Amino acid sequence: MKNFLLSLIKATLLTVVLLISFLPMVPGLAGLISAAFGINPLLEQFQWTFSGFIQLFQFPGIGQSIFMAVNVSIVSTFLAVFISFSILKHWYQSAHWQKIENAIAPILALPHVAFAIGFAFLFTPSGFLSRLSSQLLDIVLFNDIQVVKHQLGLIIALTIKEIPFILFMSIALLKQLNLKQSIQCAQSLGFNQHQAWFKVIFPQWLPKMRFAIIAIMAYSLSVVDMSLVIGPSIPSTFPVMLWSWLSETDLSRHLMAASGALLLVFICIVLVYLVIFIEWYVVTKCKNWQFSGRKSIKLFDVLPTIFKHFSKNIKLGTFGLVTVLIVTSLSFLMMIVWSFAKRWSYPNILPSSWSSQFWKNELPYLFETFLTSISLALLSAGIALLLVLVLLEFNNRVIGKKTNTINKNTLKNNKHKHLLIPMILIVTPIIAPQLSILFGMQLASIYLGENNFYLWVLWSHVFFVFPYIYLSLDGPWRSYDRRFNKVGLSLGKSPLKVWWTIKMPQLIPAISIAMAVGISVSLAQFLPTLMLGAGRISTITTEAVALSSGQDRRIMAIYALLQTITPLIFFALAIFIAKRSGPLENRKAFLIFSNSTQKAEKNISKQASTIRHLQ
Amino acid sequence: MKKSTKKLLLATTLMATLVNSTFALANQSANITSATPETAPLDWSEVEQQAKGQKVYFYAWGGSQQINDYLRWADKQLQKQYGVQLEHVKVDDISIAITRLLAEKATEKATGTASKGTVDMLWINGENFKNMKQNQLITQPFATQLPSWQYVNTQFPVDSDFTEPTEGLEAPWGIGQLIFIHDKQRTPTPPKSMQQLLSYAQQHPNKVSYPQPPSFHGTSFLKSALLELATDTSPLYEEVDEKSFAKITQPLWQYLDQLHPLAWHQGKQFPSSSAHTMQLLDDGELDLAISFNPNEVSSAQNNGSLATTTDSYAMENGALSNIHFLSIPFNANAKAGALVAINFLLSPEAQSKKGDLSQWGDPSILKTEYISGSAANTKLFKSVPEPHPSWQVALEQEWQKRYGH
Repeated sequence: MKNFLLSLIKATLLTVVLLISFLPMVPGLAGLISAAFGINPLLEQFQWTFSGFIQLFQFPGIGQSIFMAVNVSIVSTFLAVFISFSILKHWYQSAHWQKIENAIAPILALPHVAFAIGFAFLFTPSGFLSRLSSQLLDIVLFNDIQVVKHQLGLIIALTIKEIPFILFMSIALLKQLNLKQSIQCAQSLGFNQHQAWFKVIFPQWLPKMRFAIIAIMAYSLSVVDMSLVIGPSIPSTFPVMLWSWLSETDLSRHLMAASGALLLVFICIVLVYLVIFIEWYVVTKCKNWQFSGRKSIKLFDVLPTIFKHFSKNIKLGTFGLVTVLIVTSLSFLMMIVWSFAKRWSYPNILPSSWSSQFWKNELPYLFETFLTSISLALLSAGIALLLVLVLLEFNNRVIGKKTNTINKNTLKNNKHKHLLIPMILIVTPIIAPQLSILFGMQLASIYLGENNFYLWVLWSHVFFVFPYIYLSLDGPWRSYDRRFNKVGLSLGKSPLKVWWTIKMPQLIPAISIAMAVGISVSLAQFLPTLMLGAGRISTITTEAVALSSGQDRRIMAIYALLQTITPLIFFALAIFIAKRSGPLENRKAFLIFSNSTQKAEKNISKQASTIRHLQ
Repeated sequence: MKKSTKKLLLATTLMATLVNSTFALANQSANITSATPETAPLDWSEVEQQAKGQKVYFYAWGGSQQINDYLRWADKQLQKQYGVQLEHVKVDDISIAITRLLAEKATEKATGTASKGTVDMLWINGENFKNMKQNQLITQPFATQLPSWQYVNTQFPVDSDFTEPTEGLEAPWGIGQLIFIHDKQRTPTPPKSMQQLLSYAQQHPNKVSYPQPPSFHGTSFLKSALLELATDTSPLYEEVDEKSFAKITQPLWQYLDQLHPLAWHQGKQFPSSSAHTMQLLDDGELDLAISFNPNEVSSAQNNGSLATTTDSYAMENGALSNIHFLSIPFNANAKAGALVAINFLLSPEAQSKKGDLSQWGDPSILKTEYISGSAANTKLFKSVPEPHPSWQVALEQEWQKRYGH
């Protein structure tokens, strides 16, 4: 009887998780597919038709627009991965790594739009750098139309913004690899540090980064808000074009937009397989380079000496890291200066008159927006966290059970396959183009006619926050040493008590950081808030985007700053909690954890102090 | 992974079919059209009574901080005087509200139950109004029944919106005139006609441009240019005729073909909006900015976004002029509240505040005797009426085909 009850509770819990986290995909996809082929009950269209696609492909400039989106996605993903690995290779084992970790956490918290606004303050023809160069050298920078035509701004901004994400995801991962031993072993075989990283660590790192890489690839493919601020306009990138059609009153445009959104899903699937294929090709198919014993990689032999020279003299890792840090901190500085500038005309390097009037004007009205944003973020991250905890326990139990029956080695290779809910399903909200899923979700929400916009928006936030929290907790959960549980259970404690008193305290630092990640993801949501909230739910992010259409740099700066500071507060709080909940792990007995948490502790206290300084 | 993906695919397909069939069923079972509107005269005191405590969701463009500030002021006044809350839903394009209404209308038809609307009140004109009227998204005439209607200057063409008769379905709010802004120091003699603009661009390459259509100001620039360049402007005030479109618009494209190579970024990139042209004017990248607010300069100078040496002017041919309106959709939830809000926005108090040159500076649609403060000093330029709304879409599409990629 008791067993039955327990399994009933388990089943209900799991159903709740499934309903909340995965159900939106059903109306999302169903609505999208039917609308793409002309079936849209909301607009009283019930005839299957291909005319949406026909119109889509006839639209002037569509080919270039799609090409640009794909180009931005592939190039920025490749650059981000490549530079991130170079940074890791060069800095991970250095004494400064803790500092670097501290420095990238705030950048991770920075929402994309806010970053794009700050980036534009720096790199437009009338931006700060161009002002400097025109005052000092009499050269106007970034005025070349080619810069926009080739989407350079968007690519560079995306690359810079995604590098911290890849680095952050790598930290947990590198701790799982036997890094020191592997490299020592390789070095004893006569490979230098650089070669050891490439030949030994890279093939292990890349497959484990698969989902992170796919996530940034998909994000950059379907990004709307960031391209609105710094993207090309003739034509605009594909997702921006779809977005503009969706907001048109001409209904035939909606059919086109639906068809386009489906096409975007298709392109995304192709790119996902491209990422997987490249990974397979480099790591599994052509693995000769890994153990052929050649000290340099064949590719580099073929390339002209100039390239060799370049890669020797300018350390890409250092260059990338310095760029990321300088660009983001300068962008932040620009936002602060602009928010207090009354008049700052070109080409003055500093504002000619200052004023706090814009802050004073906005502050009384910010409270409500702030409250909505924060309540949405806390609720959605909280709900998502609960769901993730439930799911992690179930998924891990499945792994645990399999461990007993299957040889350990085979398990290692097939880890993902034995999860109750496959990884691919969990990360779908990150991978699938947001615009496409939301299109269907919006149709469903209007059709249901329920006007509780807050709930709709909350649900969509949970939906998009869930995979990020899952990804940040998956590593810590898996590296938790089960023997603690066994000890606890053998001492006669109940499973719940073991979980609560032994497992939880060890995982609290990871949980609080995951919560902060979830909060920052929710705070940055633009499309879900706007599309499901019918415009009625206004958050700092939707306000920031709406106001950016007015081009008032002072107001844009204020909202971008708020967007930056809010998640930072939560990150600081999470780090504070993580620090307080640490002591238990410092004991020697907690082998796996002690190393990492001690490091994390130092890192955390420093980070907290830097953030205190910032404030 | 393969197995699970297949399962997932199967599951989604199944669910998709399920959802589709439910949609179809729901539609078959209920095919009731909504009731026709009643047009009884308004009992104003009752309206005010009903309005008390209502929250009015006002969908309006939210890109201008001066306008947002004005609406914040209006909200405060409405709460104080009538107990009505005016919630400004900031949109970057009002069509997002219309799309929503279209979907709500269709749902209402499909399910047969009257929907609780999302939009209580919205700020529109031109193509958007025509679209709403055609799709019966506004059903009840109200404008002339407002107490504040007595102040409205009916000398202005307030009964038609881009040639479309308003029939009281929307109430006039303000006047827009397409004007150009220049810096008197940098450009003492700005171009005053399209031909002069071309020769100015020849002398100063890379210094003129216009917002990219289909943005509101961009399309307005095209219309304005066409009105000046076309040999006969009368067809522009009727529905577009596909056959004659090419012939009538020929001079415009010829003109733009000449202008673009001389324009900012060789016409390969355009400013995104009117606000962007002002930013570029201030940055010294452009010599001319475009706006629909004849008083834009004074408010922009006041808050520091334009130099004090800037001034506005209209082309010799006249300024393309239109009226912007406020309306209430068919399924508004807070109908009474919206009526009270619109009535207040048409009052001498609110209109004088709106025309305040140091703030928004939007010209009033009231008779001048009711306007006080700096708003009374508003200057209006010689006006050129807007063409038929169908020209908007036609011009935008042709522009996209020729220059949009």
